[in-house]
Amino acid sequence: MSSKDSIKWIYDQFKDTNELIEKNMEYDNKHLLLFYIKSLIDMDMLEKFVIKPFFEMSSEEQLNLYLHALPQFQEITSKEQVQLEVMKGNTLIVIQNEYYLLDFRLSKNDEVNQTSIETTIHGSQLAFSDNLATNINIIRTNYHQPSLTVEYIVEGEVNQHKVAIIYDKDKVKTNVLDTIREKLQKVDKQLISSTTQLNNYINDKPITIFPQMIMTERPDRIIYNLAGGKVILFVDGNPQAVATPAVFFDFMTTMEDNYHTFVISLFLRILRYAGLFLSLLLPAVYVGVTSFTPEVFRTELALTVAGSRVGVPFSSFIEVLFMLFFMELLLEASIRLPKAVSATATTVGGLILGTAVTEASLASNIMVIIVSAVAISTFVIPVNEMAFSIRVVRLLLILITSVFGLAGLVLGFFVLLMYLVNMDSFGEPYLRIYAFSKNKKSSEEKT
Amino acid sequence: MPKKQNKTKLFLLVLIPIITLLSGCEFKDIDKDVFVSMIGIDKSEEEDKPYKITLKLYVPTASFKQSPEPEYSYISHSGETLTEAIRILETYSDKELEFGHTKLIVIGEELLKENKAMELLDFLMRRPDIQLISWVAVGRPSAEKIVKMIPKGENAAYPALFNYFDGIGTESQYIVSTYLFDFARRMKESSIDIILPIIEVKKEESHFEVNKSLIFTNDGEPHELDTYATLLVNMILKNVEVADLFVKKEGHYFFTKIDSIKSKYKVKILDNNQVELDIKIHLNGFISESKKALDPEELTYYNQLFKQEGKENFVEALTELVKNGYDPIGFGIDYKARTWHNKRMTDEEWEEAYKNAKIEVEVIPGLKSTGAIQ
Amino acid sequence: MSRYYYYLILINMVANIIASVPAILFQYHKDGAVSSMIFGIVAGTILVTVYTRFFNAFPGMTLPDLLKKTTSKWFYKPFLVLLAVMWFLAGLITLVTFTFLLIRYVTPEMPITQISLTLILSVIFGCLMRTDRVLYTVELVLLLTFPLILFIFYKAYSSKSLNWDFVKEAALYVNQMPHVNSFGACFFLFLGVANLFIFNRFFTQKQKFKLKHISIIGIIATLTLFTTYFIPIGFNGFESIDKLVYPWISTSDSLRMEFFMIERVLFVFLFFYLGIAFLSILIHWHVSMEFLRFVFNLDNIKFKGFKVGKFIPVSIFIAISLFLVRRLNEYQLFQISSTLYNGLVIIFPLMIILFFFIKRRMKDAEEAKQN
Repeated sequence: MSSKDSIKWIYDQFKDTNELIEKNMEYDNKHLLLFYIKSLIDMDMLEKFVIKPFFEMSSEEQLNLYLHALPQFQEITSKEQVQLEVMKGNTLIVIQNEYYLLDFRLSKNDEVNQTSIETTIHGSQLAFSDNLATNINIIRTNYHQPSLTVEYIVEGEVNQHKVAIIYDKDKVKTNVLDTIREKLQKVDKQLISSTTQLNNYINDKPITIFPQMIMTERPDRIIYNLAGGKVILFVDGNPQAVATPAVFFDFMTTMEDNYHTFVISLFLRILRYAGLFLSLLLPAVYVGVTSFTPEVFRTELALTVAGSRVGVPFSSFIEVLFMLFFMELLLEASIRLPKAVSATATTVGGLILGTAVTEASLASNIMVIIVSAVAISTFVIPVNEMAFSIRVVRLLLILITSVFGLAGLVLGFFVLLMYLVNMDSFGEPYLRIYAFSKNKKSSEEKT
Repeated sequence: MPKKQNKTKLFLLVLIPIITLLSGCEFKDIDKDVFVSMIGIDKSEEEDKPYKITLKLYVPTASFKQSPEPEYSYISHSGETLTEAIRILETYSDKELEFGHTKLIVIGEELLKENKAMELLDFLMRRPDIQLISWVAVGRPSAEKIVKMIPKGENAAYPALFNYFDGIGTESQYIVSTYLFDFARRMKESSIDIILPIIEVKKEESHFEVNKSLIFTNDGEPHELDTYATLLVNMILKNVEVADLFVKKEGHYFFTKIDSIKSKYKVKILDNNQVELDIKIHLNGFISESKKALDPEELTYYNQLFKQEGKENFVEALTELVKNGYDPIGFGIDYKARTWHNKRMTDEEWEEAYKNAKIEVEVIPGLKSTGAIQ
Repeated sequence: MSRYYYYLILINMVANIIASVPAILFQYHKDGAVSSMIFGIVAGTILVTVYTRFFNAFPGMTLPDLLKKTTSKWFYKPFLVLLAVMWFLAGLITLVTFTFLLIRYVTPEMPITQISLTLILSVIFGCLMRTDRVLYTVELVLLLTFPLILFIFYKAYSSKSLNWDFVKEAALYVNQMPHVNSFGACFFLFLGVANLFIFNRFFTQKQKFKLKHISIIGIIATLTLFTTYFIPIGFNGFESIDKLVYPWISTSDSLRMEFFMIERVLFVFLFFYLGIAFLSILIHWHVSMEFLRFVFNLDNIKFKGFKVGKFIPVSIFIAISLFLVRRLNEYQLFQISSTLYNGLVIIFPLMIILFFFIKRRMKDAEEAKQN
């Protein structure tokens, strides 16, 4: 590659940018050509590590050796790489007709965030940062195994984001890893900006209610999943990682389970599953009992329900949907609103609306209790993605119950289980009970 | 994966028409139902319509806190059969009559004397919506009176009468409670007789009295058990856990509070179709009231008195029952449970043997204290 | 043995409480039901042992696979179709019974087609799942429903209203000669093991099957049969027990939960038994579907590139069940189940002869290979 041609090629490539800076320095028989994009690099570093030494070094030879010794130093393998790396914040150096890249990237996003989605009482309160290098640093500092492997793939035709595939070579299931690599190659999207976006593109079935990858912002969960043989995906500029293959029970554990004593965490687990069942089934049970089989509940309860429905103009099915609709609106609204306002919004919505609705007898008292119980118990589900899925499935169950009655609800629930069991997450059955003793050789195998 | 998508498509194709076609046709909200709380069945005056049914219906109120007074409505009608009467009753109410919450079936005393129990039972058992765990009782003077009465201090949504039978409210020793399924099995079985509590309302009073019971065989005349006999049957049947018994002997007159009752009974077969009814009762408790001062050291002596007294009373009450051939306890079944089916006496032979049975009662007293004072 | 193996057997046993088995037994309550039960347990346990031993010898192989290797086409194709029909009927009986129960006790106003559709639709797509997934579903649903069913049994045993004298009276009829019909009903309880015809595909490793495992099955069977037969007698009396159409429903309605949100045990029983019925139909129809798939090569039937073969039996199943649900009455259902059970008593022991034949052929084939 002749020097002139290359420089011309570089000019060609960056002719649309007005931010490319070319610095030609000559002093004392030394000659150095720099290309960089001003907004991407750390000026201080450039000055300290390149410009100052240039004037201090006695010979071009020494300078060349010095640059080679820098940790930011990078060899060039292809022209395309040059373009890409310069766009990412590297500085191209031409010295003695040789081309090198120096990484003086300036990143303002490498600070570690506070946990905001999966908050816990015990344990670390730090989450990942927006910077990929920092995140890998966090993982490496927490997971000291030489078998930990990081692979990079560039995704997104336009924004060219770096995606890291992280796994423990000794523990990972190779077929899972292969499928993920293969699927990632196939993704052709213009813009990739988040890990959860990948979630949608890698899956077999684009229309699915349940998440097949678990998204998390907590380093401890990622470490836990790495040790469990899972594959972790990171996208640069995104503080959330996804781990896969994920099974249903992954979504029902929080890291805090490990930080409590056994009895406490057992209690919390029971509470959580109770919450899950409650939030799934309660509204549908209400519809089934009030509209199809009022003799199920004991007399006092049935009378209370019947009494509270006096004067309500809708049938139970509409009543439930009506109240749930407002609850969902309230939840969505409180996410979008600025933090200062959202507390007021929930108060106005929850308290005032709830009271007013029963006063105007648009819904029964019992209904308001049910809706709030459902809302609360939905929050108990530790991973947010699962909570969203449950919210959708709940509606389906209400629909089934209002057509087929309580028996329909029971069967609908079993069909839900069957659907989950039948689902795959990268070759793993999504829901199944695992044997109690893991050491024992299993006496059966997958068909 | 075309296969999977195909499945979803097919599913939707099937589901959507179903939902659109079927929904809405049997959707009925709870406030369009009216719950029946009690059924009263009486003999009516009319010749061709022998049954008179009275239903007690709950009137739902928006909040029980705001209106703690119970509210009911009543409908009643006579008919040739029970079903016919109920069919007419359904036109009396703007809402659907829902029998799923019926907890008490009161049968008028007059009707029972007509020997109509089998017909009643057939109706009650055949309807799937009537609970088999509803209680059956006899109403005196009539079922309608009982059903229509609301005693003072009754809670809304839970009629006071239920408290007598559910074993959670009052736990009186004189109350027999008979579930519908128990009524049915006693009815169908020849070797055990039906026993039903009698609910009485005295004319000028405003409360119920449940302390007697009625025994009747499948075809015979009903026989009324007085309060004390009811208690004894209750104790043998283990229906009660606490009881008050008195001892009046050898100048002593004291009451005992029994807090644990264990009873065993069995039929001993002697020669020539002669049987002996063996009853063993453990009564543990303490002395709760006495006319005379008591000496704790004499507890064995008091126990002895208690034992004699108990035995005499039991034997007396039982003899009365056995002599008339009534068997509410189920000695007949006990006998059947002890002999091979091909070596049993016939039902008639058994009846004869039962009437002439020897009665052996052993009371094992366990008075542990003379109470808090001597 | 793998726990999944026990599930197959257990479900068939427990599911029969709501099917016609107790009703058939009570029909003969004075003519040798008790002795039939004893004979049934002995014969059934032997059958379970033979079947399990046989399939254990060929881990991972289904009956169709074995038949294909050892017998000729004219034999195994009609034979498998016959088996498919039998399994379909077994599932259908549970389906129709439960449809009748639901319409009677839960939603009397609902049209019968709609109720049966609830059951059929929920099961039918499950039948198309892979065999291992069927078993995982079975495990999950069992885990959710079985504790409560055990609780109901506990409630029944500890109830004061359970009169043991009736039970003793019934037990004393043990010296009667057993009757074919009641024996057939008891024998049917053990036929869960026959699901191995297809489910053996899942058990790809050789399993231990010793006296311990046999006795576990024997004990479970004895407990189930005892509960099935004697508990309703204890609650409903002995004389007229044969008059009850659904003895176990009446029994569960005789139980009361004083302090629970639901007072009538009947509903808890119905809704949780719905789970067991669901599993029972799922397993039977899955087996039936797999037989049909094998015989008619359903995977190869394509329409515009989609594999539609699987959906042919699905639609046939739906059509036949809907037709029969509307057509049958309780008495006919009772007759059909009784006849089916009697047929099974003959067919399944005869199948052992076939097993010997297959075993010989397989051995020959193996020896030929070695030479």
